[in-house]
Amino acid sequence: MHIVDGALAAPVVVAGTVLAVAGVARGLRDIPLERIPATGVLAATFFVASLIHVPVGPSSVHLMLNGLAGLVLGWAVFPAVLVGLILQAAFFGFGGLTVLGVNTLIVALPAIAVHLALRRAISAAPPPKAAIWGAVGGAAAIALTACCVALALTLGGDAFIPAAQLVLIAHLPVMLVEAALTGAAIYLMRLVKPELFHPMVRVAA
Amino acid sequence: MRPLAVLLLLICWPGAAMAHGVIADIFASGGQIEGEIAFSSGHVAAGATVIVTDPQGTALGETITNDDGFFSFVPVQPVAHHFRADLGSGHVAVMVMAEAEIRALMMGQSPRPATPSDEVRPEASATTTEDQQALATLIRQETRLLKREIAALRERQTFQSILGGIGYIAGLFGLGFYLAARHRLDR
Repeated sequence: MHIVDGALAAPVVVAGTVLAVAGVARGLRDIPLERIPATGVLAATFFVASLIHVPVGPSSVHLMLNGLAGLVLGWAVFPAVLVGLILQAAFFGFGGLTVLGVNTLIVALPAIAVHLALRRAISAAPPPKAAIWGAVGGAAAIALTACCVALALTLGGDAFIPAAQLVLIAHLPVMLVEAALTGAAIYLMRLVKPELFHPMVRVAA
Repeated sequence: MRPLAVLLLLICWPGAAMAHGVIADIFASGGQIEGEIAFSSGHVAAGATVIVTDPQGTALGETITNDDGFFSFVPVQPVAHHFRADLGSGHVAVMVMAEAEIRALMMGQSPRPATPSDEVRPEASATTTEDQQALATLIRQETRLLKREIAALRERQTFQSILGGIGYIAGLFGLGFYLAARHRLDR
């Protein structure tokens, strides 16, 4: 999910950059020392997942796993996504540097929305139920991301409804795959590393 | 540290605006400008509207690509021509032909001194203009295939790059971890 250089109007690019900087600042402040490795691992996951392309029509879509990153990281998803996007732009020419801010927002905002909506349910529910919530979160993050892309393109001049339909339909397979992956990952994490979802337990212990 | 790295990257970036996955090229052919737009996946962008403007953004006209992704445009003003095609879903093709090339083209001279078609000219000096043009077309076709292949190659993610990227991430977050840990020790 990368918008390329030159596809967006300048005000959108500037506003996106400003908001992304604010988000990254908030994220950096939010990462406790113990969470830095987890943030790095999820940044790497995002980086690699984005390289798995599924051809759809003349273009192709790719995995993102931003729902998983959001569920685990919260606001720290912003720096993780930014690092992943910078490296993708530098190594593979995905997206571009002027649209880095917009792309960061497009990926990170849905992740945070999913985090805010589902984090409590996932940390409270037993692992199988948490996995289902995780799957919902993974799919929802992709759907929201597709909407964000459509919105950004609309601000750049495209008509919203056709653009959104196109992006959403193209991402249906990705939503399914991500739902399965995120559900499985959340299940595994709840079993082997439950403290990822209970930061307060660590402080109290 | 990280903002600094980002800033450095931003400053050093060569400002490449080539859209991801889109291959676009224009060249002078006879008295007109011809171009083609394709995706690096091998699909051509058929039926795309190409908007032609001058450097100030004033519209000079527009044209539509045919089924092979080709379009042509006859320049009327001796100014640099900017070609822009919005292929949807954030794919944009942007091509620019410089003023000097447009002038040469409108004067009916050989438009691109640097194209391979001119390098073979000494050997083809005994041939007629038609032969030369046929040769130029042929070479253009051949190089077009090469260009497409190079673009596809450039886009292929190599295993080394992926490993390198993961290494960068590990390094960056390791550095962040180190700095944060040192900060905590200082306190």
